[in-house]
Amino acid sequence: MKARAGVRLHSLEVPLAGNTLLVPSAAVAEVINPIPFSPVPFSQPWLMGVIGWRTLAIPVISLEVLLGVAPPAQTANGKILVFYPMSGRHDWEFYGLLSIAEPRPQALDGSQPVAAESELPDSPYIAAGLKIANRLMLIPDFEELKKIFYP
Amino acid sequence: MVDPNQFLRLQLGKVSYLLSSIAGFTIEQRESLITNKSAGNAVAWRDVRGKRWPAFCLDSDLRVVHHQNWHRAVFLEAIPHAVGIAVDEVQLLSRTETVISPFTPIGLAPTRQGHLFSGAWVTGNRVVLVFEPKAFVAYLQSLEDAA
Repeated sequence: MKARAGVRLHSLEVPLAGNTLLVPSAAVAEVINPIPFSPVPFSQPWLMGVIGWRTLAIPVISLEVLLGVAPPAQTANGKILVFYPMSGRHDWEFYGLLSIAEPRPQALDGSQPVAAESELPDSPYIAAGLKIANRLMLIPDFEELKKIFYP
Repeated sequence: MVDPNQFLRLQLGKVSYLLSSIAGFTIEQRESLITNKSAGNAVAWRDVRGKRWPAFCLDSDLRVVHHQNWHRAVFLEAIPHAVGIAVDEVQLLSRTETVISPFTPIGLAPTRQGHLFSGAWVTGNRVVLVFEPKAFVAYLQSLEDAA
C-alpha cells in the first residue's frame, strides 16, 4: 500500500535581512518590484511609507524593524509583497512587506521539522519556525501583527 | 461657495498634502499677517479683534520649521479659534481632478483625535495623503500649546 501524501500547503519563502520568513501563498495578493515610498509623518518606525498600488494607498512595513534589526536599504533586487487585508478589516486594507529578494515558492506537507523555541528570535511577532533543508524559516504571528497595526 | 468635495493642495517642502474643503478654511496673504519675530513655534499671527490666531510653518515631515519662503497661510476652523499653516504653495483642486481612496496609516495614532490622514489620492505609484481635519487641527493646536 502506498503511503498517502500529506496535505500540501503552498507557501512563499521570503528573504529578509538576517532572517527568512515563511508565509502562506494565499495571503499574498501580489509581489511587485520596489517603488519609492511616500513618507507617512509621525508613523511607527516599522512603517516604511506608503505606495500606490492599483487605486489604493498601501502601507509598507519592515519586519526587520519589528524584530529589532535595522531596515534594509531598498535595492533593485528587493520586492514588496502585497498582503490581503487581515481578517475583520476593510477590503481596502491591503498592506505591504519588504523583502530583500524575490520570494520563492515552498510546498509544505507536514514533514518539515518544527524549530525549537530556542532557535527563534525573542519576538511576539514570530509564531513558530520550520527547518527546511537545514534552514530556519520563521512563521509570522499575524494576530500579533494585527494588534500593532490596528491598536 | 466652496464645494464640499473640493480639495486644497498644500505644498510643504517637496511634499504635497490635500485638505478637504469640509474642514472649513480661509486663505490669508502673508502681508495681512503679523510676523513672529521672537521665539515660539508660530511663524505669524492673524489678528482678529485683538486676538491672535497662530500660523505654523511645517516641513514635509510636518515638523515645525522657521523659514521665510511662504506666501500664504491656510487657517482651519477650530474651537476656540482657527489655527493656521503657512504654505509654500496652495491650489484649489476641483472635484473632477481628484479621486480619493480610503487610507488610514497603521500603528498608533499620533494625536488624541486619531491618525493625521484619512484618505489618499493615488495616481500610478504616486500617493498624496489627505489630512483628517480634526486630527490635523489637534496637531496644530498641540504646537500652540508647546510654544
